[in-house]
Amino acid sequence: MRFSVRKWPQILAFGAVAATVVATITVPASGANTTTVNVVGYSVVGPALTAEETAFEATPAGQNVTFKNSIGASGTEATNVANGLPADVINLSYWNDMELDVQANHVPANWAKQEATIAGVNPRIFGAKAVTTYPTAGMVTDSTVVFIVRKGNPLGITNWSQLTGSGVQIVTPNPATSGSAKWNLLGAYAAWIATKHTANQAQNFLKSVLEHTVAQPTSGSAALSTFLAGTGNVLLDYEDDALAAQKAGDAIQVVVPPQTILIENPLALTNTGLQNPAAVAFYKYLFSVPGQQIFAGLGYRSVLKSVWNQTKSTFAAFQKPTDLLTVVNLSGYGWPTIQPEFFGSTVTFPKNNSTHPSEGIVTYLEQFVGKAS
Amino acid sequence: MRPLDDPRTYLAKGVAIGYLSLLVLIPMAALLNNAFSHGLGVFWSAATSTESLDALKLTVACSLFAALFNAAAGTATAYVLVRDRFLGRGVLNAIIDLPFALPTVVAGVTFYTLYGPHSPFHLNITGTWVGITVAIMFVTLPFSVRAVQPVLESLTIDAEDAAATLGASPWRVFRTVTLPAILPSLLTGTGLAFARALGEYGSVVFISNNLPYHSEVSSSYVYSLVSQGNDSGAAAVALFLLVGALAVLITTNVVARRLALRRG
Repeated sequence: MRFSVRKWPQILAFGAVAATVVATITVPASGANTTTVNVVGYSVVGPALTAEETAFEATPAGQNVTFKNSIGASGTEATNVANGLPADVINLSYWNDMELDVQANHVPANWAKQEATIAGVNPRIFGAKAVTTYPTAGMVTDSTVVFIVRKGNPLGITNWSQLTGSGVQIVTPNPATSGSAKWNLLGAYAAWIATKHTANQAQNFLKSVLEHTVAQPTSGSAALSTFLAGTGNVLLDYEDDALAAQKAGDAIQVVVPPQTILIENPLALTNTGLQNPAAVAFYKYLFSVPGQQIFAGLGYRSVLKSVWNQTKSTFAAFQKPTDLLTVVNLSGYGWPTIQPEFFGSTVTFPKNNSTHPSEGIVTYLEQFVGKAS
Repeated sequence: MRPLDDPRTYLAKGVAIGYLSLLVLIPMAALLNNAFSHGLGVFWSAATSTESLDALKLTVACSLFAALFNAAAGTATAYVLVRDRFLGRGVLNAIIDLPFALPTVVAGVTFYTLYGPHSPFHLNITGTWVGITVAIMFVTLPFSVRAVQPVLESLTIDAEDAAATLGASPWRVFRTVTLPAILPSLLTGTGLAFARALGEYGSVVFISNNLPYHSEVSSSYVYSLVSQGNDSGAAAVALFLLVGALAVLITTNVVARRLALRRG
């Protein structure tokens, strides 16, 4: 069949009418009882959240639920939510970003308890069936800080102390903008604490790591791009992101150091999310066994003991539990004290020491190293 | 009815002012308000912190260098496009504006691949002020070329020819005949390029390697303040940049106008 040029207007008109008819018939049919859930996630978790949503839509609770995602650097997303970005379920890179939204009255102050009260997952106390591997409440996924090196590991890097050897160039994102950058620096610090060094020695090591850092891109994903473009010998990264990059066929190799920090990513229902049954159901799903299995399949260490036991053979093991430190091991109360101690913008020194601050450690070291270079 | 009394001019005026208010004046006022929301002292310490000043110095230096280089290279490009006839001139003329259309992040990634560790030319300028300047030059090139080009087009070739027949060297013809004519618009174009360069983010943030106190530009520092929830600090640093840009724009405009008036 041939269309002559003169017939095009008729064809277009017919097409428009047909499209309108189809639209009027189909839209109300599916749109009648649809609920929208606004999901906000940190940059690296985007693909995992999409996979979770697809799986959730196939469950009875997920019928007629549609998702709207906003994915970006953790700090940026948290700020956007504080400034009014619609959000029902928020998954951020670390504790303090969630606190930004608590201060802005978008997330309830007791968000960490939602894990027990809403999802029915018991962090530790009462003898429920669903128990988490680590007791930190409100955390939906765990991971660790790992090294990404060039294929074949030309420098033979296996542990943290080699990162400060001569000629080693490190890429790690900027801790001011990136949640993953904060975890990376804590990983370096934790490794030194785990190997029986003092806090001051661990700070010195952190300084050497920053001295060997040649690029601090704005986010974890920007850091991976920079590394893939040829800068540096070692990239510090989330284990899940590193495994995904390896799976994607990039010319890299993942090295899990013998000691590192346990990364814990928080999840919360916002005040609007608590009013949205579909959002609540999705929150529950993310903590459920099927939801956790999806995370595990994508390289996250499951927070549920049962799923972790099923999947732990696919992850690098640590020789002893003290090789994988948590934020609580580093600083008494975890993030509420880690934040000012390491990442606060105010630098304070203890009375008897003018070289090792007690507050704003990373802020001080960044300036010290930046000015020296 | 005098033309000024025509209700249509009031309508036009109203639209212009309303439009400018919504897009420029109100946001600028909000920025100002934000910058001083915690008082003058907080504003000053945020804007003049070591990290802010280091970023500012780097940004101003690279922007200045890029604007000046583009003034020279952009004028040469415009001159060739107007005066010469060659195959592909139309295509080249159209390509000049592409830096405006290309998402700056894409430009940044492309420059990183071409002039980074894996450079096919074995040229690695990443993490250096040269890299930052090159990225800025790319983004601001259209300002320099497009400011000068229409003036060159309207400039009749007779005066240049006359000077040449009287024995002036090509360089002298350019210096004494062409340059004075294009100087006002060249200044305006360079001022615009400089102002645009100060705020450039996407193309620079990759190639700079973004090391604080070292290769971090102001726009990136502002971004880091925003993501730490420090809106007023970000506004303070941004205001510093804006005042600098405004000063340069006003100066170049005034000088350009004077030059144009003197030529009559």
